[in-house]
Amino acid sequence: MLRFKTFSILSSAMMVLLLIMVVSLLWGQYPIDFHTFMGYLEFKLLGGSGNDTYTLLDNIILQIRLPRVLLAILIGSSLAVSGAAFQAMFVNPLVSPGILGVLAGASFGAALGMLISEQWYVVQLLAFIFGFVAVGVAVLIGGMVSNSRSTIMLVLGGVISGSLFTALLSVIKYMADPYSTLPAIVYWLMGSLTMADLHGVLIVSIPMILSILGMVALSKYFDLLSLGDEEAKALGVNVPLIRFLAIVLATLASSLSVVMAGMIGWVGLIIPHIIRMAVGPSHRLLIPLSAIVGAIFLLLADTVSRLALSVEIPIGILTSLIGIPVFIIVLKNARAAWN
Amino acid sequence: MELNPIITVNDLHFSYPKQSVLEGVDFTLNHGEIVSLLGPNGCGKSTLIRLILKLIHPNQGEIWLDNKTINRYSHREIAKHIAYIPQYNNVPFNYSVLEMVMMGRVAKHGFFAAPSAKDKEVAHESLHRIGIDDLAQRPFGQLSGGQKQMVLLARALTQQVNTFIMDEPVSGLDYGNQIRLLKLISQLSTQGYTFLKTTHYPDHALMVSSRVVVMNGGKIIANGKPEEVITSSMIRDVYGIDADLISHNRHTWCIPTFNKGIV
Repeated sequence: MLRFKTFSILSSAMMVLLLIMVVSLLWGQYPIDFHTFMGYLEFKLLGGSGNDTYTLLDNIILQIRLPRVLLAILIGSSLAVSGAAFQAMFVNPLVSPGILGVLAGASFGAALGMLISEQWYVVQLLAFIFGFVAVGVAVLIGGMVSNSRSTIMLVLGGVISGSLFTALLSVIKYMADPYSTLPAIVYWLMGSLTMADLHGVLIVSIPMILSILGMVALSKYFDLLSLGDEEAKALGVNVPLIRFLAIVLATLASSLSVVMAGMIGWVGLIIPHIIRMAVGPSHRLLIPLSAIVGAIFLLLADTVSRLALSVEIPIGILTSLIGIPVFIIVLKNARAAWN
Repeated sequence: MELNPIITVNDLHFSYPKQSVLEGVDFTLNHGEIVSLLGPNGCGKSTLIRLILKLIHPNQGEIWLDNKTINRYSHREIAKHIAYIPQYNNVPFNYSVLEMVMMGRVAKHGFFAAPSAKDKEVAHESLHRIGIDDLAQRPFGQLSGGQKQMVLLARALTQQVNTFIMDEPVSGLDYGNQIRLLKLISQLSTQGYTFLKTTHYPDHALMVSSRVVVMNGGKIIANGKPEEVITSSMIRDVYGIDADLISHNRHTWCIPTFNKGIV
């Protein structure tokens, strides 16, 4: 019964995601009708005689729209799942990759990488390392002031950690070449999916998907860890191992999202909350559903902004504009459960 | 009755950086017993329990569980021998009672295995044994203190072990629920379960214990049958108040004495 419910919720969410994906591939400055799309799909999958339209579609779909769609899905998933994982790990419904300073740390790391190296993997590695350092700083500060499991202290620790790395990021910006590197850094940090290219997306998708799957695999332990360390240990959970794995995976997934598209805030905070309100807090459903709904949210936001507005608004700005009011509503509704 | 030790503690010492908590504790828990750990706040009761569960590590001394030192057990293996029932506290995420109870099964699974239909069956059966089937779909956070404690006891049953360790099981419960919980412990004990529980109430120790261990200042100062250990002089030494021990209906009750109004 429980399994059937889980399965049907996840598969319906997946259908919605697929539908939005198709819509997003078809609509845009150059609309493609469904019939042409199916023909193109048949041509791509089964071969056959192509024509000039298909060459044009290759350009529009494969080169422009598909990378962007895939990136939105990957990043939405990564951020939402990481947020849910961080909330369980720290037994704290108010944390997220953004609030813990991971996004700021990863931004600093990635900017540092852009400054000192041309190599893509250096940028990714530094983003991950400083994302991880940023969580460490947040936890240290949160724990230094109070030993107990304090929700607010960890949030404040994250605020301090985030500010620290934002300041360090400003140093990098100050040192960057104002005509080339600086504008690149600034525009990238605003959070944008426009720079996606298929090759880059496919490369980064491997560690991202592995991190998400890893967190889904660990999800049954997240329920136990949210009871507190001692209770989880007494029930037989290897708490240090699970916590370490989960923090590494969540940091990796959210840091890579920063490398690919800059700082996209709020997704990691609001999506798990909305899902918890809808289907309950059990992480065996919450984590995989966060992955799908996070993807739906970001893809939808990107598609709508692409269609509705003549100018491109960086997606990071858009998610903040949507996320803040949603979070205020969530806060109001969920306050009772936290006390 | 032949004594069959489950847990044996030898010369256990534990201290925090600035404070010594346990100073040489020897203790045994035998099969079929209900042992009440009695003592004032800060005497080291909870510390002893946490050491036995390997939640903290001793500075000196040894803990044996079924003839193996506890250092050779993982938490998972300990959970296959002992079920721990903590004082209920608030969980930030509002799990249903059934979800909460099923968490007791985690030590039985493979690392990545999902809970099975059997786990669910065991959970329902445990709820039934405690008599709280009707709570299964309720959110844990919205239960009363007594109900929460019953749910944690049901969760312990799903671990399918014979030894239960309870930390202040009745704290925060109203009078009726306190007595109901003690009855439940005594019922389960007749079904072959062994209990080690800490308590603040000499009365409760007299009511439901086969043995009472009194701790004070990090040491065990008395250990034996409830009626023999809980005496007026022990109460005065440990708690600093006067109390009379009165026998009624083949049962001993501990009643504090009030000489000049409220003590």
